[in-house]
Amino acid sequence: MVRLPEEPSARAGNVIDVHGLGIEFYRSRRRKLSLREMVLRRENTSSKETFWALKDISFSVGPGEAVGLVGSNGGGKSTLLKAIAGVLLPDEGRVTVSGGVAPLIELTGGFLGELTARENVMLAAGLHGLSKEAIEERFDSIVDFAGPQVRQGLDMPFRHFSSGMQVRLGFALITTLDEPIVLVDEVLAVGDKHFREKCYERMESLLAEGRTLFLVSHSEPDLRRFCTRGLYLQGGTLAADGSMDEILDLYNGTTG
Amino acid sequence: MIERYRGIWARRAVLDTLVRRDLRVRYARSALGYLWTIIDPLAMALIYFVVFAVIFQRPDAGHKPYFLFLLIGLLPWQWFNASINESARALVSEARLVRSTNLPRELWVIRVVIAKGVEFLLSLPVLVAFAVVYIVLGDTTLNWRLILFPVGLVLQFVLLTGIGLLLAPATVLADDTIRVVRIVLRMLFYGTPIIYSLNVAPEWLQRLLWFNPLSGILELYRAGFFPTPLELAPLVTSVLISVGLLAWGAVAFARMERAVLKEI
Repeated sequence: MVRLPEEPSARAGNVIDVHGLGIEFYRSRRRKLSLREMVLRRENTSSKETFWALKDISFSVGPGEAVGLVGSNGGGKSTLLKAIAGVLLPDEGRVTVSGGVAPLIELTGGFLGELTARENVMLAAGLHGLSKEAIEERFDSIVDFAGPQVRQGLDMPFRHFSSGMQVRLGFALITTLDEPIVLVDEVLAVGDKHFREKCYERMESLLAEGRTLFLVSHSEPDLRRFCTRGLYLQGGTLAADGSMDEILDLYNGTTG
Repeated sequence: MIERYRGIWARRAVLDTLVRRDLRVRYARSALGYLWTIIDPLAMALIYFVVFAVIFQRPDAGHKPYFLFLLIGLLPWQWFNASINESARALVSEARLVRSTNLPRELWVIRVVIAKGVEFLLSLPVLVAFAVVYIVLGDTTLNWRLILFPVGLVLQFVLLTGIGLLLAPATVLADDTIRVVRIVLRMLFYGTPIIYSLNVAPEWLQRLLWFNPLSGILELYRAGFFPTPLELAPLVTSVLISVGLLAWGAVAFARMERAVLKEI
């Protein structure tokens, strides 16, 4: 692993601590065992081939840092993000996250088609840890941020929203959460140009509040705008850890 | 392990929201929502009554009055059946929510058990109504052992949570689990003293039936309505098995969680 001169040393009171992290997946999608096969042929007939999506990853992130994760497709970026979000568990090593996480990963993951938008906001906000009072307080600001179309369609079944509206509502909701760590899997800004500007503004204000940002992106402008530190993930291992500019130069140098 | 459950307790507000939502969906959607909860066991009780008391002329298959006996058995069975079927699918059917939130995953199983438990409680007025009818007719008297009813409830909750915690991850990891569960449940209905009472079965079968944790639970439910003395053996095995299944379920769920998250 290349340790570049600008790398911040690990401080006590780290917000994210990753140590020797490894996550292994089965190659074949048909990993599912079949009881029938197990009983009749006394074996698990699905392929046992595995690969390590992440191997021996170690780094720390201090409070208020803005970290950008780069790497080519399939390098393990999403997997690492999910491990920090707690949605995947390590096979090796450990991930310690002190404080809650606001995951901008699957923006519409907490929503259900058959409920109305209003009910979905109440439910999803609750699932992400907001108390009833907090949801009621913030309800209007969430809906207003998402736009007037959403406001009009509040009592419609959610599945009647366009995917754009759904995603804007998801973004609005998750960026309202109080969690100190914000994880972003590529979806830093969504929607049309006007909405994207709103998203960037919101990101900036979140960072100004002292939140910690962990951004996975292929977009160099986004990375340069928001992140001060970079991690370069290559084939599941941490190839470099340094300042965002240096990492981007390295990444660009490698991919040409 | 304790932390996991402390985590669930800390998120009980979410559990509350989810259960309320389930109940709203169940009861508010259709006008007959509440009725459906009670029609099924009532209809089944009527059918079994006709078959066994009228056609086979064996109303002594259970305690008297037989219809009341059937009802007390069928209502908890409905909780059992619905809970097992839905908690087995708890992680699969909510896969999106499971993989995009960091909620303690046992929560999805516990939510099913509680939601179906509330439906069970809401179906009890029917039982009360028939009990009153039979008391007025002079065919039944209640006794002090009615306080064992809530004990049965708690024990059934423990049992259902344990089984749910075992089945939910198994269903994610092995497709066939659901099919096996469905078949086992159908057989289990007849292997449980619902339409017959324990002492009607031949001795050797009785001993086997003791190992069905539902036998003991049903004894607890019935105790307050019928004068027949309590069978202690099934009670003891029921407590042991239910608690054992809860412990096993808790451990197994935690162990399988990692693989489940990758599969979901």
